[in-house]
Amino acid sequence: MFNFTAITEALIACDQDKVLELVEAGLRQAVPAKDLLDLGLIAGMDVIGERMEKEEMFIPEVLMAAMVMSAAVDLLKPRLAEGEVGAKGKVVIGTVKGDLHDIGKNLVAMMLKSAGLEVHNIGVDIAPERFVEEIKVKKADILALSALLTTTMPMMRETVAAVVEAGVRNQVKILVGGAPVTQAFADEIGADGYAADAGSATKLVKSLLP
Amino acid sequence: MDLKGLAGGQYKPLSEKDIQTIHEAALGILEKTGFTYESGLEATAGMLEAAGARIDRTAARIRFPRKFVLDHIRKAPRTVVLYSRTGRDDLDLTENRVYLGTGGAAIRVIDLETGEYRPTTLKDLYLLARLVDKLDHIHFFLRPCIPTDIPEDAYDVNMFYACMKGTGKHVMSGVNNIDGFHKVLDLASIVAGGREKLIERPFISIITSFAISPLKLCTASTLIMQEAIRHRIPVALSCAPMAGSTSPITMAATLAQIHAEQLAGITICQMTNPGAPLLYGGIPGRANLNTMGYLGGAVECGMMNAAIHQMAHHIGVPNYNSSALTDSKIPDQQAAWEKGMTTLLTAMGGCNYVHHAAGMLDSMVGVAYEQYVIDDEIIGMSCKVLKGIDVDPEHLALEVIDSVGPGGNFMTHAHTLRHMRTEYFNGNGVSDRRSRNKWEQDGGLDARERGRQIARKILSAPELPFLSEAADKAIRRKFTIHL
Ligand code: B12
Repeated sequence: MFNFTAITEALIACDQDKVLELVEAGLRQAVPAKDLLDLGLIAGMDVIGERMEKEEMFIPEVLMAAMVMSAAVDLLKPRLAEGEVGAKGKVVIGTVKGDLHDIGKNLVAMMLKSAGLEVHNIGVDIAPERFVEEIKVKKADILALSALLTTTMPMMRETVAAVVEAGVRNQVKILVGGAPVTQAFADEIGADGYAADAGSATKLVKSLLP
Repeated sequence: MDLKGLAGGQYKPLSEKDIQTIHEAALGILEKTGFTYESGLEATAGMLEAAGARIDRTAARIRFPRKFVLDHIRKAPRTVVLYSRTGRDDLDLTENRVYLGTGGAAIRVIDLETGEYRPTTLKDLYLLARLVDKLDHIHFFLRPCIPTDIPEDAYDVNMFYACMKGTGKHVMSGVNNIDGFHKVLDLASIVAGGREKLIERPFISIITSFAISPLKLCTASTLIMQEAIRHRIPVALSCAPMAGSTSPITMAATLAQIHAEQLAGITICQMTNPGAPLLYGGIPGRANLNTMGYLGGAVECGMMNAAIHQMAHHIGVPNYNSSALTDSKIPDQQAAWEKGMTTLLTAMGGCNYVHHAAGMLDSMVGVAYEQYVIDDEIIGMSCKVLKGIDVDPEHLALEVIDSVGPGGNFMTHAHTLRHMRTEYFNGNGVSDRRSRNKWEQDGGLDARERGRQIARKILSAPELPFLSEAADKAIRRKFTIHL
């Protein structure tokens, strides 16, 4: 039996060399790529996610682990069948027009990416039309909007309206977040969800996808 | 007890050699790495280029040669005086003189009556101005919260109006855009009785977050900054990276990056209008490594804010920075120790204009009425430390000791009466110093509840006419006032 726990532990320790070495060894021993992914890497990310939530791990460590994970997935990709990796859902994420805050939004984007989603982080100060266009071009399943200012929260409402207007509202689930945003506000503007931090944003996205 | 403007500088986290090293590092950062910018700043970039900066337009990079920076920062005034309207609370920002006051743009407040954590309103802004006006150790009023109940395009004028109506202390705030700046200029000119009078004794000033750390110019704020500088309205050049996310995790590197950002901002301003008053606005912060949120209460914030004053002092520019940004959600012990540490360290560091020092909670997101009362006490005690211990014949009081003699007491001695108002810090009443019995009789209230009572008492007093009726009318004729 292949030692998947070793991969999990190396991933938790953010040891890229070790993770890659173990994954390569697994492939040489003809361990199915899907098992290396699920039982080694994803198992590790699950532990990391839990530890992050309990504040037993610092965010930079979590992000580093996510980078190691993604390097390992690149190794596995050629051996994984279509549908086994990625394609869990496509996210377009950005900060609404008039708002330049991006630290939280970028963190959410990185966490979603490490959860295996295809993430298009289109930046800050994004007009409603631009979001609509990106949804269409990227065939997004999720639209994630960030706002940190009370003055730009109305722009979230306008963005939702623009998505409705463009006739693509049924195509995407919309989530909103940022320090001044609340669940009540999300409900009021007709968004599908709100999350207070990057960890819960990831859970929320997973729950919204079919 | 008047404790404003005392000399700090007793706490010096950086040695002379450290200061020199960080200053050189910052000049190196500007020369090698430089700043980036976005569209809308072509004129600013052009101005810098004509004077000797190197601009790479394809990479949107501005690199500042060392001599070019040094030539321009020299033009910034060493002393900036921010005036009050009463004349009682003028702030002479120079050398190591220390003033502390409010700060913010908070969006939530703990309601004074219900205790509910709710969105801030224009009325809160006015009431907080009135409260702070009566708290002696809060030396200026920087707009502490956002009027979330009025239309956004009415913010700028209404915020300054509410502040100036509530207090005669110096008022500072940001503005949303250049148009807002001009409206505020008109508003303040009406209050001053003419533009010249305002420029001569500016009782308002502007904050602009011109830099998005690391090393990026914010187009909108840079343009506002330059416009204010052109009109010689004092500007605080705010830049506030969080060590660990928008600046390196190490304190030395964070200081070097901030110093570089400030040198660039000051250069732009002094090139725009040489000699115009401004404040070095580096605010070192910390990222919460568990969430990447803003960690206001970190003890390192106190250390770095003291250090950044040393950097500003090194180039001879008065500084604006922060203390007392707790991460606690309510006015509790955590709030008190975090605030006490950072406020004392910044005061002892000699920081000139310390905002956020009163009222703030919840990592910069919220404020509470009672917290202003508590922070007034913390600031007062911190400034008392700056007063130091006088050792001269009058204070040594050898004759007094001899005349009272062994076994006597000093309670009724004239010397005690002479010095009891200066040697003894008697707070605003929020610190309970009575017997347990008395305390129990009065309901056994904690500091928070006592703070609330003091706040209520101040707010129930008659309103003071900080705006004349004529000025108020003229303002209302010109602008839509929501208060
Ligand atoms: C850093 C910061 C800045 C930096 C931004 C740098 C950058 N690259 O982003 C700078 C200095 C540039 C800046 C500028 C301004 N800021 Co600012 N800023 C902050 C600060 C201190 C921290 C924000 C932050 O990065 N937090 C860390 C991240 C990790 O947390 P987060 O953003 O909340 O994100 C988390 C969650 O909210 C959530 N989330 C976020 N987005 C999304 C999206 C989705 C879909 C989901 C599900 C979840 C989610 O998950 C994230 C991760 O856990 C806040 C105060 C605060 N405590 O929030 C003020 C604050 C937001 N700023 C404020 C203000 C006023 C401004 C300025 C107007 C000027 C000023 N006075 O500083 C300008 C505006 C510029 C503009 N047009 O946008 C006010 C807002 C007041 C208001 N009206 O609402 C605040 C509250 C501070 C204050 N009290 O003064 N700011």
